[in-house]
Amino acid sequence: MATNTEDSNPRPPDDTSAIQPNGWLQKMLVWIISQATPKCRDVVRILSEQMDHELPVVMRLKLRLHFLACCWCERYMKQLHYMRETACRFPERAGEGGGSALSPEARFRLKHVLNNQ
Amino acid sequence: MKQPNAADFSPPTVASPAPPTAPKRDRAQTDPDRWVDEHGDCLFRYALVRVRRREVAEDLVQETLLAAIRSREKFAGQSSERSWLTGILKHKISDYFRKLGRETSFTDLESLADEFSEKFVPEGYWVHVKGPKEWKPESDEVVHRAEFWQTMRHCLDKLPERIANVFMLREMDEVESKEICSMLSISESNLWVMLHRARMALRECLEINWFNREK
Repeated sequence: MATNTEDSNPRPPDDTSAIQPNGWLQKMLVWIISQATPKCRDVVRILSEQMDHELPVVMRLKLRLHFLACCWCERYMKQLHYMRETACRFPERAGEGGGSALSPEARFRLKHVLNNQ
Repeated sequence: MKQPNAADFSPPTVASPAPPTAPKRDRAQTDPDRWVDEHGDCLFRYALVRVRRREVAEDLVQETLLAAIRSREKFAGQSSERSWLTGILKHKISDYFRKLGRETSFTDLESLADEFSEKFVPEGYWVHVKGPKEWKPESDEVVHRAEFWQTMRHCLDKLPERIANVFMLREMDEVESKEICSMLSISESNLWVMLHRARMALRECLEINWFNREK
């Protein structure tokens, strides 16, 4: 998001925002968006809340508008959804990649208890 | 570590039609052993990520497999045996936290409180060079790799315990927010703050250790 701190907060080369402040018109658009929508720090909090309950239509529109000038918040939203999709697969994949395992004693005890049912 | 073998990919024995008398006794003797060998470590590792104590994780695995013995007649084989057992374990974990929630406070608004302040300029915008990076590779390619799940486990272990608990109840056990609040006796706004911090920290950890790592 562009602000009056733009000079001290340069945009890296991977900035993919639809509107970038590289001309006076774009600068003005970005400024208007920054005034009309919540700040990024609040956007990320709101995006997390959106994962748990539906937001009012006006807020959803503000977020769409914000994303036009801020690829970082848009990425953040996509990544929250991605984490949800992968996290729910984690329980079945938790055993992969090594790590702690049942000790031989625990394994023996388990089998003993289960077979005596 | 146990290597995958052909038995991992064979259809579950419980799915095969069997006469209701003698073969049932055989199954009663062999299934639990096989469950321990084939799924024990996976169930244990998941339980350990959730409760962080070996003895509690072992108890949860035992309770899960005991419940599985009692309910195996109902397992019709629509899902894989692993999913079925994991499903039972998730319920056991929820029960465990429900009980714990009655005894201890789950509200944790202190951890991570200011950890991400360096991500934003004082006006509240991202420090652009520290903002979220594009994540590549995407979805399916990633989730089939064991190393990814190892990284996920490492990142979950690094989260403060109570924050990790609410995140995993919500996203892994897929418990609704309201239910988590009543389970753990916390307010909805506190839950949102904790979930936000968990997501922020997990996102950051995955980005550093997986998506943006030195390859």
